[in-house]
Amino acid sequence: MRHLPEGVLRRLLDEPLAVPDSARHHRDACGRCRARGGQIAQDAALAVRVLSAPQVSCDGGLAWAQLQSRLAGPAQLRCPAVRLPRRPVRRFVGASVGTGTAVAGGLVVAGVAAAATLTTVFAPTKVAPVPVSQADLRAITSAMGINAAQLIGGLPAHGGSQRLLFGTLRWTSAGQGQRVASVARARAITHLAYSPPATMPAGVGSPAAIVAVPMATATISFGASAGPGVSGSSLVISGGPAMIVQYGGPSGGADLPTLAIATMRRPVATSTGATTGQLAAFLLSRPGIPAGLAQEIRMLGNLRTVLPVPVPSQAAAGQVQIHGSPGVLISAASGAASGVIWESRDGVMHAVAGLLDRKDVLSVARQLG
Amino acid sequence: MKASFVTSAGPRPPQTSFSAFESFFRAHYPAVVRIAYGVVGESHAAQDVAQDVFIAALQRFPDPDRSDHAPAWVRVAAAHAGLNAIRGERRRDRRQQLTGIDVPPPGPEEAALDQESRVEVRRALSRLPRRSATVLVLRHSGLSYAEVAEAMNVKMGHVGTMLRRAEAALRKELNDATPS
Repeated sequence: MRHLPEGVLRRLLDEPLAVPDSARHHRDACGRCRARGGQIAQDAALAVRVLSAPQVSCDGGLAWAQLQSRLAGPAQLRCPAVRLPRRPVRRFVGASVGTGTAVAGGLVVAGVAAAATLTTVFAPTKVAPVPVSQADLRAITSAMGINAAQLIGGLPAHGGSQRLLFGTLRWTSAGQGQRVASVARARAITHLAYSPPATMPAGVGSPAAIVAVPMATATISFGASAGPGVSGSSLVISGGPAMIVQYGGPSGGADLPTLAIATMRRPVATSTGATTGQLAAFLLSRPGIPAGLAQEIRMLGNLRTVLPVPVPSQAAAGQVQIHGSPGVLISAASGAASGVIWESRDGVMHAVAGLLDRKDVLSVARQLG
Repeated sequence: MKASFVTSAGPRPPQTSFSAFESFFRAHYPAVVRIAYGVVGESHAAQDVAQDVFIAALQRFPDPDRSDHAPAWVRVAAAHAGLNAIRGERRRDRRQQLTGIDVPPPGPEEAALDQESRVEVRRALSRLPRRSATVLVLRHSGLSYAEVAEAMNVKMGHVGTMLRRAEAALRKELNDATPS
């Protein structure tokens, strides 16, 4: 077999599912290609380090007002201040940027021509509550064949796999979550924009722990028993990076956290063939999935853009607005603990939860995102 | 691909198109700012670039919902405009001076970054061939290979090769800039 082209070695780092298995096997078996891949990975890592910009906070409303002001002004304001390409785009493959639809063609590897279609099947832009009971959770893990104890008990640092009833689940992570000394350090690691709230409710205390969590990816490879359109496809779900700032009690100790603030890039899922509708139909029709829960999820509408937030049956949930974005506010029946989750317009998920009442949790949330 | 350039202002768009443009602006403004920020490394300058991109997009796509090209166009335009800006055409504060609208101060994330390193990276980017710099900026702003291919009008199978060569060139530029 001929050695792999550099472009294929580079893409193996970013989109391995779009590259034929034969290329991956060759890379693993060929010392020369492995060495070239190592150099390519080093250069890619350098580029990531110097070019991955932190999330820029920008106010769309203010920016729109500025644009309107400029358009209403004299002609010189309506002239772009920098030169712009007249025709940077002349031909398109037909898919809009937002869909992420892709066709990989022309990857010539030792005579193997392969093509894979990658479709973004889940990229939530908002959250919505879904009531879930303990029995529902047990039914879901049982219907999927998920070993919940293994998943919750501790994922291996860099990856692992598990057989499901209808395929295989594999997961990889760029590393373990790590405690860091400062918010600035967490920002530098995760490239997430986060500014601590200026004012905290009484009794929250000071930050007790700051954790930076790298991006993780889970891949479900559906077997032949999966439904039409789904069997043989793969679903890749990536989440993170994330940072969590945990506050201790009045003494500053970490024994009794009073508040946690989590910031995370929104999860995104891509499929090598199945559509969102096909995947939802297949997963929600698994034997054992409670009919009521399936109906609640279907009623959310476009499942490509909505992140269902499970709400325990003992808790109360309501919808709130955080800077114009819909959020889900959950509070314990006693009122002693509350949490809110939302996605801001820049595609970042936020969660604030603690031993606070709803009013205090919202006051913290509205100082973020 | 050889791009041609325009600097002329177009006619004021009709009010109906203007309102149709707003949802497109709000949906894509953060992505355009992010791409521009990846080049110019400063949030005010990135927002200036984004404003210019949308001014030009309004002239080109007055009803962007009817064009599949508009989202890709504003992204690659942000990369080109940002690269032009760091090559000496940046006009900071122009918008604020002319419109009189206050611009918020830089976010705390900027203060946490090494300013000197950023300047080096910008210089290195400005020395790269235009296509290399563009593919780097688009890919590292979060676009997928398919989206980069679409925006740059190349086959998707070429993106990996372009990216690889661009990253090697960037490493060389940064190494050359580091005093031994």
